[in-house]
Amino acid sequence: MSDVFSLLPWIGAVWLFGIGLYGIVSSRHFVHLTGCLAAIQSSSYLVLLGIGYRYGAVAPIFYDKRPGTQAVDPVVQALVLTDVVIGATVSALLLALVLQLHKRNGIVDPQAMRPMGKSAVPTAGGGRQPNGHTA
Amino acid sequence: MSALDVSSHKAQATIGRRGIILRVAFVILAVGLAVVAWPVVHAMPQFGSHPLPYGDRVNAIGPAERHITNMVSAINFDIRGIDTLGEEFMLLCAVTGGTVLLRGGRGEDRAASPGHVKGRANHRPPDSLRLLCRVLAPLTMLFGLYLAINAMLTPGGGFQGGVVIASALLLIYLAEGYAGWRDALGSEFFDAIEGLGAALYALCGFVSMGLGLPYLAAFLPFGTLKNTFSGGSMLIVNLGVTLAVAGGFATLLIEFMEETRTLKPGDDPDE
Repeated sequence: MSDVFSLLPWIGAVWLFGIGLYGIVSSRHFVHLTGCLAAIQSSSYLVLLGIGYRYGAVAPIFYDKRPGTQAVDPVVQALVLTDVVIGATVSALLLALVLQLHKRNGIVDPQAMRPMGKSAVPTAGGGRQPNGHTA
Repeated sequence: MSALDVSSHKAQATIGRRGIILRVAFVILAVGLAVVAWPVVHAMPQFGSHPLPYGDRVNAIGPAERHITNMVSAINFDIRGIDTLGEEFMLLCAVTGGTVLLRGGRGEDRAASPGHVKGRANHRPPDSLRLLCRVLAPLTMLFGLYLAINAMLTPGGGFQGGVVIASALLLIYLAEGYAGWRDALGSEFFDAIEGLGAALYALCGFVSMGLGLPYLAAFLPFGTLKNTFSGGSMLIVNLGVTLAVAGGFATLLIEFMEETRTLKPGDDPDE
């Protein structure tokens, strides 16, 4: 039984990664896609904090504890802090790109984007794109 | 970048077909991920009861040699200070990128009605919300400052405090509306704060070098344990991070809020 509990954090991380990836694959809106990317990123928080955990240990803050008390690993906690900050800024950058895309093409649906390097998928407007350029 | 006209039946059929292909590809990928992940998951160290050599070293060094009690701050601002400098500049780059993408020639007009979506009523925020936000905004700001100032003692630090300070600015927006908000905050001010914060961090490293120490090495006395102003030059670094994060997130908030402003005839919608 303790074996199963020992595996749970890693299984949880794989599961978070999986559902985030499914969300990205099936996404119909770029804002939703950005949220799914955040879900994928949280799997990395889970792995890092899981690695640094120790049963019966305190948080690595020794203000009210005697220095030398068994504490969990602060190295991975600092990494998670970095991870969160980068996640927030990358989300902001992606959302800015979504806004620009919406302004240029009026579209926020990843499925409606044409794959790069492929010939144009025929559109109703006779090849005219919403931004006025011919396809 | 081109896009489909999603309204046509043909385009809808194409999108549906792509959706099925993508989902099939995902199922194959997920099975592959599970197969690869299973041995990795089993090879992971025993959860909660394996040695943490680096963590234990840091936990010993922090209070004894650096005279601070928050080990995460000890790592961020001293032990891996140069990594945090990289993180700091990554933040700066992301904010600059976002600003470049969003900022256009729309100027700083405060009279335009922002947050207004065409075809949707633009209500004035209710008085209860305004009162709540006016009460909460200073308290949130104070809490952010508390987190940032006590970085060396208790959970918190420049990153957390900076983000909390920036969210207090959002509460001011909720209370005062766009015009009042923009009157209260100048985007130049926050641009300057962000740049100054990052510069303070980098320059702190050069001061160490000027004193003949390695880059970002601590050069001030560490002070006494459990004193707010213990930690020596980590305090300067922490101040730099606080300014940069608060300024960066405030800049992003302002730029995103600018996007909701209704365009006037002269404005270029592409910018």
